[in-house]
Amino acid sequence: MTPVLRLLARRLGISLIVLVGVSMLIFGIARVIPGDPARIALGPNATAEQVDALRESLHLNEAIPVQYGYFVKDLLRGDLGTSLYTNRPVTQDIAQFLPATLELVLFAGILMVGIGLPLGIWSARYRGRWPDHVIRLVSLLGVSAPSFVWAVILMLLFAFFLPIFPIAGRISDIYEIERVTGFLLIDTLLAGNLAAFRDAFWHIVLPAFALAVSGIGQAARLTRANMVETYDKPYIEMAQAYGFRARRIARKYAFKPSLIPSLTIIGLDFAAMLGNAFLVEAVFAWPGLSRYGVAVILRKDLNAIIGTVLIISATFLIVNLIVDLLIAFLNPRIRYSQRGSS
Amino acid sequence: MRDVLRIEDLVLKFRGYTGVTEVLHGISLNIRAGERVALVGESGSGKSVTARIVLGQLQELRSAQVQGGLYFEEQDLNRLSRRQWHALRGTHMSMIFQDPTSSLNPVFTIGVQFTEVLRRRDPKLSKEAAAKRAGELLNSVSIHDHARVLNAYPFQLSGGMNQRVAIAMALANHPSLLIADEPGTALDVTVQAQTLHLMHDLVERTGTAVLFISHNLGVVREFADRIYVIYRGRIVEQGPTQAVFENPRHAYTRALMAAVPRITGGGVPEIQDMDGAFFDPLEVHGEDRP
Amino acid sequence: MKRTLVILLRNPLSLIGVILVALVVLSAIFADFIAPFPEHRGSVVDFVNFNKAPNATNIMGTDLVGRDLFSRIIYAFRISLVLGVVVLAIATPIGTLVGLFAGYVGGKTEFILMRLTDVFLSIPPLVLAIAMMGVLEPTLMNAMLAVTAMWWPWYARLVYNIARSEREEGYVLAAEVIGASTPHIALREILPNCLPAILTKMTLDMGFVIIIASSLSFLGLGVQPPTPDLGSMVAEGARYLPDSWWLTVFPGLAILIAVFGFNLVGDALREILGADQ
Repeated sequence: MTPVLRLLARRLGISLIVLVGVSMLIFGIARVIPGDPARIALGPNATAEQVDALRESLHLNEAIPVQYGYFVKDLLRGDLGTSLYTNRPVTQDIAQFLPATLELVLFAGILMVGIGLPLGIWSARYRGRWPDHVIRLVSLLGVSAPSFVWAVILMLLFAFFLPIFPIAGRISDIYEIERVTGFLLIDTLLAGNLAAFRDAFWHIVLPAFALAVSGIGQAARLTRANMVETYDKPYIEMAQAYGFRARRIARKYAFKPSLIPSLTIIGLDFAAMLGNAFLVEAVFAWPGLSRYGVAVILRKDLNAIIGTVLIISATFLIVNLIVDLLIAFLNPRIRYSQRGSS
Repeated sequence: MRDVLRIEDLVLKFRGYTGVTEVLHGISLNIRAGERVALVGESGSGKSVTARIVLGQLQELRSAQVQGGLYFEEQDLNRLSRRQWHALRGTHMSMIFQDPTSSLNPVFTIGVQFTEVLRRRDPKLSKEAAAKRAGELLNSVSIHDHARVLNAYPFQLSGGMNQRVAIAMALANHPSLLIADEPGTALDVTVQAQTLHLMHDLVERTGTAVLFISHNLGVVREFADRIYVIYRGRIVEQGPTQAVFENPRHAYTRALMAAVPRITGGGVPEIQDMDGAFFDPLEVHGEDRP
Repeated sequence: MKRTLVILLRNPLSLIGVILVALVVLSAIFADFIAPFPEHRGSVVDFVNFNKAPNATNIMGTDLVGRDLFSRIIYAFRISLVLGVVVLAIATPIGTLVGLFAGYVGGKTEFILMRLTDVFLSIPPLVLAIAMMGVLEPTLMNAMLAVTAMWWPWYARLVYNIARSEREEGYVLAAEVIGASTPHIALREILPNCLPAILTKMTLDMGFVIIIASSLSFLGLGVQPPTPDLGSMVAEGARYLPDSWWLTVFPGLAILIAVFGFNLVGDALREILGADQ
């Protein structure tokens, strides 16, 4: 077994343990709250018999560990229960709303890496000089406000005062796009409708950027910090003594060793956007998981709450797993070590 | 014989929060073609900064002020543009560092780094040609399993192996001057001796001049033709190795030599008692300057 | 300590940070004297002056029921700061103790405590708080509870990493040799070495707690009206963009300024104390 595979297996195992823990935690929170879920679900006008019947079918009369057992059994069959808000299976709701959120988060992730890392590299290369000061200030500003503030400011500037981008939504109503992946940027291309693709792309830019602002700042700050440390290493001094070009040192020889310790945190920040998407989706009326999530939370729709949190956590774990693999791929010490490092 | 490197009255000052500190108080030295010259002193005496000044690296720091004449292969370095000076690095002058393993980039293979060095001289060199050339160079430092070494990362090789690689890289582009800053001090004594021998033979064969920076008089005696002893930013004694060792004239040189025998290997000699005589004027042994 | 203060005040950026933090903290404390309309913190209605753009009387304009926005923002600082202080005052000791013992004791304790921490860290920060607020009643108390629940694991991680490396240090081994008890070593020997990192993180986190708390109330899951809160003010105003832009822009900038101030100070502290994590 290669070290990378071994690492993958280990991480997968830990992720599974953690996922079980998350499900217990969220299930526990949902069950210990005051009030009778069945009563909440049916509303104040339901009769006592109706409530009892629902309690029976939801296994609410059993001990909590037994309830959890039923929950896991259903979960393994891919059944997260029925949403009391939409009256549809929770899995079906999630399948409908998740792609929009994922598309937004992925787009924002690309912006975060594509803008944040170069800014950090630039800042480190000119450390102590004015480009560095400017970038540090801007990236600190970026991490200093929640994404809904950036969303509002960007919307005001670039959708109202300078009407460059559309104000809300994923795509203009005039386009009918067949749903294949749920990712509009892909589905429009699959449909061969370039005008629709352009329209969808135009719609996603502002919300994705609002979501990415603090991530860009964070990525730039982290990259800079790690690279400044790397610049003091003898191998960079050697590269300079051998006359390697400053730009090449920055982009290759100082960047790669610095990227490895940054990646874990960048991965976490990327995953945190799954949470922040709630805020941005609210501002731009983005039809994603957030609106569903907030709606079911306000209605105390327990099955849907558990399902939503579980799906987001699973996505989060998958992202972390991918980041770990990326690190293993970049870091020869892990690739060639006999035991996976932690 | 012509000088490969000539330094005249070099002064270095650092501007800091507390004001200006002078680190080098006007040192002069010269190295002729193919000559091995040692600059000997304790840590903090100004040896390493001298090397950085020759490479033009220290001048890029805004806090450093450098004055004095610097001549490399008869050209005035101070008159070169930054780009021209930069172009000399890794081609006409190169450098070997204290710890070979940490001076090689940990996340790139030896082959990648070797290619980059070779491309300093020949930017269009193909990967295959670079590998072939690197193989020949590794041969010259007695490494024969080229493919394995070139595909390895520095942490997969021993310190001695990395040192051989560093020597091969340093001489890859036939520099006329090699600056060796405490080479191999981080290695254990026998490995250090082996690699120094190797380096000695190679520079003799290629006719490369060496500025050998060290605190270790034992090593210097084996390696250098001529010695400059530096103390607190001043050259206090200079002359042919043999002459200096047989008849050290300056109080500081004598103290430095007295400190050596007690320390076997790479320990830094520590001269505890400051002596007023350490600030005596420069002692020059005969036959040194034409 | 004194040296730290001097450096903090000498650097122009951290000086700006100190000034911003001082402004926010002082205006929160003395809100009753600074706010031109202190009574507007509650549910006052003034339909004569509703939805007014910034003017001489109301420098940041008025909201939809005629309350002075500037006054409400100053009182909102009070809520944000109280929330931040309470959350950190509870989360930090809990996280520190968990991390300290997991890192120093090792073995089964380490495995269980750190896997527990991982579980909390595996839910995106905001989502956990949102989920908790979903099942709890949206009040200031519960918002603090939810944010605290998602916050302690970060301190556990931080302290755990330091404690684990300190475990092998000479002074710890020396203390073990002379027979010091586990709590003594953990609290008296290892903890002091974690303090600079903890302190720095707390300063930076003050800003993050304000961000998370305002995010909760932005979604309607935090502090409820009429209590003035920056997040819910932005949410209310967002519906009236772009015409009543002041309703969102000023509360939004207020968050930015407060958090930016804490971040500047935190960054400077991190550099001074050398506690890069």
